[in-house]
Amino acid sequence: MKQERALEFDTQVKLAVYRHFAETAKAPAVSEVARRIWSDVESVLAAYKRLRAQRLLVLEADGKSIRMAPPFSGIPTQHSVEAGGLRYFANCAWDTLGVLAALHKPGTVHSRCEQSGELLHLPVGLDGPGPTKWVFHCLVPAAKWWDDIVFT
Amino acid sequence: MLFFRSEEQVREWCEVNGYPKRPLVRMDQLWGLATAWYGTRLQEDARRPQPEEMRAIFAGLGLHGEFWDPQSDSFG
Repeated sequence: MKQERALEFDTQVKLAVYRHFAETAKAPAVSEVARRIWSDVESVLAAYKRLRAQRLLVLEADGKSIRMAPPFSGIPTQHSVEAGGLRYFANCAWDTLGVLAALHKPGTVHSRCEQSGELLHLPVGLDGPGPTKWVFHCLVPAAKWWDDIVFT
Repeated sequence: MLFFRSEEQVREWCEVNGYPKRPLVRMDQLWGLATAWYGTRLQEDARRPQPEEMRAIFAGLGLHGEFWDPQSDSFG
């Protein structure tokens, strides 16, 4: 029963975090999450640790600031997405399309070619991007992605 | 996880930095990955795919080989 309550609470925290990102394009402060679900900061921080174990959150070294709620990034990156009048930051190239898939909105991906520096401005509809010769490259094999997710 | 203008740019980047060149992913395949991973992320039952599900997603998009095998990448 205790475990069921924790799972229910974690779901509330997860939804509060992700919906804040979707609505504002920014990471919520832990106090905002607590207020949104009528809880306290200590309980939310405990849930953050469990959500980290499920790979739904990555925290900064302070243990309370959200670095990643994949596909959303809590800090500015070279990968961003315009959708619904907001500009979202993504953790990587994959996550730019991930933001639009999560939002179920059309938008534009902004990034760059890592070798040439050429800028990418890619319109993406509800069914995905149109034909393009741009490609995606991942250096780290799938089994190792979470060994160092920031590098990946 | 990065974008490149072409395969040639990937090759140059790997040579310059001493990195191994990995399998390339087309943008339509990347959209498939994005929707499989994140399409339900704002919903109550959202979770990251487990290794068996990852294998099925990769295979369904034509991404085969050891590079895409999540192996023992279990969690949660």
